[in-house]
Amino acid sequence: MWTTKTFLTKTKRGNVLKIVREHYLRDDLLCGSAACNFCPHKDDELVLEANPESLCGLFDSNHYLILDTNVVLHQIDVIEEDALKNVIILQTVLEEVKHQNTAIFQRLLEVIGNKKRKFFSFVNEHHKDTYVERNPGEKQNDRNDRAIRKAASWYASHLSIKNIDGQFPQIVLLTDDEKNRQLAHDEGILTCTVSDYIKNVNGYPGLSDKLSKNVIPESCSKDALYPAHLTPTQIHAGIRNGKLHQGTFHASRDNYLEGNATISGCEKSILLQGHIGINRAIDGDIVAIEILPQEEWSKPSDIVLEDKTEDPGDFLEEESQLLTISKADDDITPTGKVVGIIRRKWRQYCGILLPSKFPGATRHLFTPAEKRIPRVRIETRQSDILASQRILVALDSWPRNSRYPLGHFVRSLGPIGDKDAENEVILLEHDVPHARFSEAVLACLPPDNWTIPEEELARRVDLRATCVCSVDPPGCTDIDDALHARRAAAGYEVGVHIADVTHFVRPHSALDREAAARATTVYLVDKRIDMVPELLSSNLCSLRGGEERLAFSCIWILDENAHVLSTKFHKSVIKSRAAMTYEEAQMAIDETSRNDEIATSLRLLNKLAKKLKQRRLDNGALLLASPEIRFQVDSETHEPLDVQAKRIVDTNSMVEEFMLLANVSVAERIAADYPQSALLRRHPAPPPAHFNAFLKAASRQGFELDVSTNKSFSKSLNEAVIPERPFFNTLLRIMATRCMQQAVYFSSGSKTQEEFYHYGLACPIYTHFTSPIRRYADVVVHRLLAGSVGADATHAALLDTRAAQALCDNLNYRHRHAQLAARASVALNTHILFKNREEVESAVVLAVKRNALQVLIPKYGLEGPLYLPSDKFTYNEEENVQICNDIVFKTFDELTVRLTLDSSNLQHRKLVFQLVTPFIPGVSYVQQTKDDQMEVENVEIKTDEKKRKDLPETKNKKKKKSKT
Amino acid sequence: MAGLLLSSTEKMYILHGVQDDYRSDGRSNIDYRPMELETDVVSHASGSARLRLANTDILVGVKTEIDEPKPNNPGLGKIEFFVDCSANATPEFEGRGGEQLANMISNLMQRAYHSSQAFDLKQLCILEGKQCWKLYVDILILECGGNLCDAVSLAVKAALFNTRIPFVKAALMDGGSVDFQLSDDPYDCKLLEVGNAPLLVTLCKIGNKCVVDPSAEEESCSVISLIVGITGNPKYYSKESKASLNFECKCSTIGMNGPGSVAPETFKAAITQGIIAAKCLDEALGRTLLRERQECGSYKKNSYGFLK
Amino acid sequence: MPPPDLLSSQGLRLDGRRPNELRRIRCKLGVFTQPDGSAYLEQGNTKVLAAVYGPHQAAKSKSSVEGVVVNCQYSMATFSTGERKNRPRGDRKSQEMSLHLRQALTAAIKTELYPRSQIDIYIEVLQADGGAYCASVNAATLALVDAGVPLRAYACACSASMAWRGAQPEPLLDVGHVEEAAGGVVLTVASLPSTGSIALLELSHRLHSDYFEMVLSRAMQGCKDIEIVLDKAVREHLAEGWTKQDVVTI
Repeated sequence: MWTTKTFLTKTKRGNVLKIVREHYLRDDLLCGSAACNFCPHKDDELVLEANPESLCGLFDSNHYLILDTNVVLHQIDVIEEDALKNVIILQTVLEEVKHQNTAIFQRLLEVIGNKKRKFFSFVNEHHKDTYVERNPGEKQNDRNDRAIRKAASWYASHLSIKNIDGQFPQIVLLTDDEKNRQLAHDEGILTCTVSDYIKNVNGYPGLSDKLSKNVIPESCSKDALYPAHLTPTQIHAGIRNGKLHQGTFHASRDNYLEGNATISGCEKSILLQGHIGINRAIDGDIVAIEILPQEEWSKPSDIVLEDKTEDPGDFLEEESQLLTISKADDDITPTGKVVGIIRRKWRQYCGILLPSKFPGATRHLFTPAEKRIPRVRIETRQSDILASQRILVALDSWPRNSRYPLGHFVRSLGPIGDKDAENEVILLEHDVPHARFSEAVLACLPPDNWTIPEEELARRVDLRATCVCSVDPPGCTDIDDALHARRAAAGYEVGVHIADVTHFVRPHSALDREAAARATTVYLVDKRIDMVPELLSSNLCSLRGGEERLAFSCIWILDENAHVLSTKFHKSVIKSRAAMTYEEAQMAIDETSRNDEIATSLRLLNKLAKKLKQRRLDNGALLLASPEIRFQVDSETHEPLDVQAKRIVDTNSMVEEFMLLANVSVAERIAADYPQSALLRRHPAPPPAHFNAFLKAASRQGFELDVSTNKSFSKSLNEAVIPERPFFNTLLRIMATRCMQQAVYFSSGSKTQEEFYHYGLACPIYTHFTSPIRRYADVVVHRLLAGSVGADATHAALLDTRAAQALCDNLNYRHRHAQLAARASVALNTHILFKNREEVESAVVLAVKRNALQVLIPKYGLEGPLYLPSDKFTYNEEENVQICNDIVFKTFDELTVRLTLDSSNLQHRKLVFQLVTPFIPGVSYVQQTKDDQMEVENVEIKTDEKKRKDLPETKNKKKKKSKT
Repeated sequence: MAGLLLSSTEKMYILHGVQDDYRSDGRSNIDYRPMELETDVVSHASGSARLRLANTDILVGVKTEIDEPKPNNPGLGKIEFFVDCSANATPEFEGRGGEQLANMISNLMQRAYHSSQAFDLKQLCILEGKQCWKLYVDILILECGGNLCDAVSLAVKAALFNTRIPFVKAALMDGGSVDFQLSDDPYDCKLLEVGNAPLLVTLCKIGNKCVVDPSAEEESCSVISLIVGITGNPKYYSKESKASLNFECKCSTIGMNGPGSVAPETFKAAITQGIIAAKCLDEALGRTLLRERQECGSYKKNSYGFLK
Repeated sequence: MPPPDLLSSQGLRLDGRRPNELRRIRCKLGVFTQPDGSAYLEQGNTKVLAAVYGPHQAAKSKSSVEGVVVNCQYSMATFSTGERKNRPRGDRKSQEMSLHLRQALTAAIKTELYPRSQIDIYIEVLQADGGAYCASVNAATLALVDAGVPLRAYACACSASMAWRGAQPEPLLDVGHVEEAAGGVVLTVASLPSTGSIALLELSHRLHSDYFEMVLSRAMQGCKDIEIVLDKAVREHLAEGWTKQDVVTI
């Protein structure tokens, strides 16, 4: 059967096109039911059971469910529960869901892919008996509803073929659309609302908590608290005639009744105040704004306003007391009000349940961890259990008569204060994919007892006899690099051997797609979220001592001065002699009595590495620093015991030098062989403006730094030393690091050769090759290199510039978030460490702000604001100093501060820095009278952590933390 | 036409037949040959029609584009005719061989549709002075069997009758740019009023008399032909018969073609004859199109096209 | 990653076909009276008319003693594409198409039979919805049969593309406009299926050599399927007996 679909579209040039597409209707599509006597199913095509057990009290006979689009969109949390089985997902629904919300679409696909769930997707749009054509005047939605009903009745009659009455499953259509239910009822289809169905499901307590409370927000005009939103058409018209503006709403962190909206093309953001002004917009939403007449403009209030702890019920409190609006002021900014929502940008939010005043109540308030998000009204019968837990909540709607948005409970993350729960919060809030690996992914793994097959051995260079060893931080289980060095006929032979992850992660497999989506392993202080399953990351790929492993080797012949004479790449089999820590390796080198093969090899490597490093520095590579800290974690409780700055030994830099050399060698090779699609890494030179404050501060200390090139910068940094202050140079480097831009992955086809330059490393081309276990970029580079040396086949996606660039974008996004998550984890552990503890430590001033000093505690590498009361201090913007009488604070000054933890807010604990010396009466901390003398405003450390610039490679080569 | 060689006796035979109002194929001088017409044959054009008049085969596709109106006519849309002589008709048309004929016909059509009484361009206006529809009437000549102009005009009118223009809502943005919204319902279209659209009638002077719809053989006997464009009567094109009884057909264009000359009397008689022929033709076309529209009331129909 | 959406998880393409299925082909021989041979062919929404004139005496400049000169012209109606075309022919693409047509059809015609002669093949694309070249070759073959020009074999053309179904590469047969526009590779093959030889092969975009074999064999299979359809049409046409062009006018 053949038909066409016709529709009109608008082209980019503003033209209207009539598009006609073919649409084939088939008679060979299966219904997927085991109760069917008609379709020629094969065994594995039977998805739906012949006798599905009825869970719902409303329907006695067994049945299959058919869901409509809105049910899937709103109730995906319910659908993900194991309770619902034997569900038919129609293609109509699938496509609409895909069109409206890709995230939910992915989740739905996951459910359909899970064999245990018995979800069958039926291609009703291409089935000759279930396809319906749109009628003149019919809305697309109505047509789709009709298609769903048609499919439902087709199933009912199809299953009855050659079946005895009552012995085959019925079809139940779940829809919340009343009109659709009525029509379905008239057509003889069993139907029911989702909430009726779910509430009558037996045996799954808590299922109804997950029901989305989706009401049409504008329909509840009774007892309306908020003005109605405009309809999309009104908004569209309003924006077109210039009365309304489209903007992104940003809620204020400090005042829940205030926010602003950025409008593109508008320099100043628009202030939005009060319940009515914000009118149910939530942070991130795209809203339509009406700008008020100028006489009603206002200024941002500088008070901190938190939503009250108590549940006031559904009324809006008097705002006049809450919002102090002074009209005659210079700070008046354009003010507006939200009149409609263009697009909601809701996600799921972590937070805690507010204790309810009435025991046994089902309606509760939820406070999100993110301060910008208002509280959410949820319904649950498990409040007793949930009260002490961190939970995840999804927003459903915000009707006019509800003070709070309505949401539903998604799942519990664990008890408040529990490390796992807190880690979960960090991962969720940073969008780190951390679910367990799916069945499909695990199916791609080799068996646990995998050994290297003979034919693989034959294909590879056998380096098992070579004395290879690995050097890593203590406790490292994902060892992805190993080294060897020995004398060769002409100079030295040095080899870097990288775990051959691509042997196991084949292109286009589920494993590959998952790894590509995760992009990187994320290291929290006490937890590692692997990019590839543990069997690979900690065993089969990890180059453990004494085990035969597959590797991708890069072998150089170096001369006496560590110049590369020749390079070759090949896949190999190695057997590491020893997996050492940096310290162990250092000891082996230092212990002159040791003359075994490993020690000689290490000494040779160390010697060459020093030459490599010197040459690199001469070329202008920057040695940057960042305050890195390392937690000592209790092996049982995972509680942090102590924190210390990281120690660096020679061997760190030894390994690093050879990894850099390998990366550069590989980069040159793949860039030459794949001019359009090589995955490379670049580090753009920082714009000069970034240096302004830094240079000013340095010159006050008497150093004029030359930042014109990385070479001159490096040189002047080396010279800026104050002998009596050994930390000063490090501090300078820490601050220099903050001036840098982020290094990024890119595809060679998307940039010109000049733009490939890596500023921090001072090399014209760079990539990542050496850590394929924990970075997907390296996996891709491995594949490129394998194709280039003929060790493996290339595949189409590898050669596609556009695909490569899209991949890079995701890698960069994930890497950034992985870093943020790691820092959040450090902050979390710092907070735990300082629980019930106070310390007085020396600190240095990193920056001078309008109301605070940004200080760094070198011992811990901690950083935070030290607030200065504005009545005591005056800020000199010109000089960038804070002055109080005769005391002047400027950058690089040393002070002592007191550190404590403020736990008054469970979700927002923060470190408090208080000044101890120099002593300023009324400001400095004095032991006895601490509370009433000072008012310390605090800002979480977390945010400041976020502002840090990322470190380029030199410093941050290896940031592995152990999970003991 | 290509490869058509007639002896002088054959020519004489034709001429005498015309003189006696009894032509070689049995028609009278104002009779047309049978025609086949089908609309909506090109599915992704806004309107289309295929007309086969004896061996003359014309395919017309109407495409719409959004354009800015001319500054001196801010409330009017645009219409443009383009004729392509396919080499399928004859190898002579290969490359640019058919261009001269094509230009002649497209100019004639442009002239015939130029008057507001022939075709109301106001219905193509979206936003006065800012946006209007531009209709591209693309005429493809697939086979030549004589009387091209008449066939083209009939096919064009049928294609325009079949044309659906999507409803758009346009609004003026600040800064003078225009933004328009398109309905997502493909049925949400308007039909054009084409009742007035002119038909061309070729009057071929053979001897002292004129004949309509000359066959290729008759064309080669004639030294001059007269082409008149006559506006149509809307009453044939709509179901509700509006009381426009005293409707008069108007002559929207007159052209002459060929090396000969015509006496004024013959000229007058020819025009009268043309008007009569056009009226019959117009009525027949209108009835046919209405019937076709009724028969396939649904938006989609199975087109036969060239498979018949 | 290559566009994954060309195949649904159920293994159907965007228009509901399976990967190895052709679009609906409808065709008719002898649609016009004046040309020596003519044919109309629809492949999905791609609609093509072909007319053949000749063999007739060749123009002096083109004449060859070796065999008949095949002259092709590919032309597209201005309304055939989504956005209106300004010129029906003479642009680069049409000229290239003409050359390719000539290449494929010369291979099929027994050129040695008519030295110093010429055969004109004119293609008019009425509607283009992907694979216009393939439809043109197929229509031209029918028109040549209609004209009674002796052929070595049917010349059939078909396109194929690549899509992914999960991790499995899956070649798609007879690529439509939507699939073409999705940016994937399109391999076009004109072949003489009964002899198994390839008359013309064209590849747009990059295709990894690993998959070339697979895509090519799918396209070749498509040519074979098309040959069956064309052969059936020819037999039906002949069974009908007299056709329009055999009726002598005047």
